[in-house]
Amino acid sequence: MAANAIDQTRRMLSLVTYLRERPGARVADVARAFGITEDELIGDLDVLPMCGTSFRGGDLLDIDTDGDRIWWHNPDASGTSTGEPLRLAADEATALLVAARAVATLPGLRESDRQALLRATAKIEAAAGEAAGASSRLSVRFESEGGVFADVDRAISERRRVWLRYYSPARDELTEREVDPIRLFAVGHTYMEAWCRLSEARRTFRLDRVAEIRLLDEPSDPPPVELRDLSEGLVQPAAEDPEVVIEVGPGGRWVAEYYPHDSAEELPEGGLRITLRTPDPASLRRLALRLGRDGRIVSPPELSGSAREAAREALAAYGE
Amino acid sequence: MAIAKAERLMNLALCLLGTRRPLSKGELRASIEAYIEAAPVGESGNDDAFNRMFERDKDDLRELGLIIETVEGLDGETGYQARRDSNRLPAITLDVEEAAALGLAAKVWQQARLAGAASGALQKLRAAGMPLAEDGSLSVLETRIPAHEAAFEPLMLAARDRRPVVFDYRKANAVHPEQRRVEPWALEFCRGHWYLAGWDRDRQAERVFRLSRITGKVRSRSLPFTAPVPDHVTVRTTVESWAGETATGTARIKVRAGHGYPLRARAGVTRDLGDGWDELEIPSGHGLDAWLVEFGPDVIVLEPAELRADVIDRLRAVAKG
Repeated sequence: MAANAIDQTRRMLSLVTYLRERPGARVADVARAFGITEDELIGDLDVLPMCGTSFRGGDLLDIDTDGDRIWWHNPDASGTSTGEPLRLAADEATALLVAARAVATLPGLRESDRQALLRATAKIEAAAGEAAGASSRLSVRFESEGGVFADVDRAISERRRVWLRYYSPARDELTEREVDPIRLFAVGHTYMEAWCRLSEARRTFRLDRVAEIRLLDEPSDPPPVELRDLSEGLVQPAAEDPEVVIEVGPGGRWVAEYYPHDSAEELPEGGLRITLRTPDPASLRRLALRLGRDGRIVSPPELSGSAREAAREALAAYGE
Repeated sequence: MAIAKAERLMNLALCLLGTRRPLSKGELRASIEAYIEAAPVGESGNDDAFNRMFERDKDDLRELGLIIETVEGLDGETGYQARRDSNRLPAITLDVEEAAALGLAAKVWQQARLAGAASGALQKLRAAGMPLAEDGSLSVLETRIPAHEAAFEPLMLAARDRRPVVFDYRKANAVHPEQRRVEPWALEFCRGHWYLAGWDRDRQAERVFRLSRITGKVRSRSLPFTAPVPDHVTVRTTVESWAGETATGTARIKVRAGHGYPLRARAGVTRDLGDGWDELEIPSGHGLDAWLVEFGPDVIVLEPAELRADVIDRLRAVAKG
């Protein structure tokens, strides 16, 4: 993978330092140590023999591999003085420090892990020196849903089923259910992925919507499921989900920021025509009500009808 | 096939790091295969091509942390060198727990540049002897920080290098985007969104911008900041007031039994009215009318009168269709 020349160069510079200390290192071990695939490592090892200082009697790096072990035949050749690890760049220090500070604030992180993270952060700050300065220009805060988090964390480590009272904003109702927790994750908010015994399906629960939680004595027994790839986004509408079309004015443009959508076409006067898919269009009644004069549901007609109906019923209660 | 850029960068880095004296451009050009191949000396236009390539390559190496010194030689030619002592990582010893914790933290970035930088940092630490952690020795939490906004990377770099930027920004209710000239101080991820805090040059005041409302390209200028950068920058209070969480008063509402859990969760007083409705007192602030109207016929505002009128107004707009 030729991905990014800068990333590859920085990796190869570290690799050379690392390999110098470890004659005959195994491809599998080095790939793991560097967090890359064996193919990526082999790709780097193909490039390294082309590198060196051919200037004034220097040599190219004589590094080769039989696919299992890696050998460097001239680590002491002149001009290949690449012994010491390199200082951290500003972006590298920022990436590591900002992430470490954010993770350290997560509720429910085990205390021993938090302590290790804080110690590591202090050491990195010291080693990065002035390169650490720019890291103050980026910060990340996770929302704390501490109490519930600690309960779910305990349920997972003790492999116990939990009982929840959970709020569904789409239906504006609390439901009770028993679930077998699979994992916790944080993407802005903190979520639990669990096997729901009520629906016999995998469900994701946002922890700030858990009204009540209790650990049960029954063992948790989720069927083996493949974990979702979080980089794909939390909401992944299926192709067969019904389509909803919403037209908003300038005051309703936020809809495109909050709802994953298929398309958002610009309309005259700063409006947008947003097309999205959802398994349950009725759940968007809240949105239709909230939009008011800032937007309208174009289709499906049942959705705009139910919002109109709800608004009329509410007005009647006001004596309008 | 042209020689891959990574190979060219690697050779330049090794030459600059390996030399005991500054090397001139001409020397570097003559000793790196990729330069010889891409821009042979003597063919027309090649000097410019080489110079451009060389300048870019130096910038790229500086991005990954290399400090390249330039020295004016006696003959007036510039020499380049990356001295070992200024490029060395100071001694750092991390134990297995610390290594595991950093490994977890490095994985949170979904933004390509930061993800690459985080892995690069771990690889440098690995080369410096950081031990390998056992898999699965950490807390069960998986954490991801998304940063899909196109404006993220240019703003991050501009804030890092303290360069002013210009971008088009559409305020929440604005019909058209407006050009803003900003000195970017800091980016903050808060409530699932990225925000920029900085000095608005036209308004001569501190402002907070939401990255998703920046339209078009962010252009940065190689000019100095004009306003002092505060020691601490926080967007959180601004964002909370936008979200209506800065309460300015109290509202009295009726909520149908079994509904409106989030309203109940923040209610100071709740009274069962006995007719299938409860009366709640909740903190009231900016944006409460829009939220209450979401509950349709299950919430009725009693007071204050302005809030009641706003909600009725919104309901009328929906009822008209």
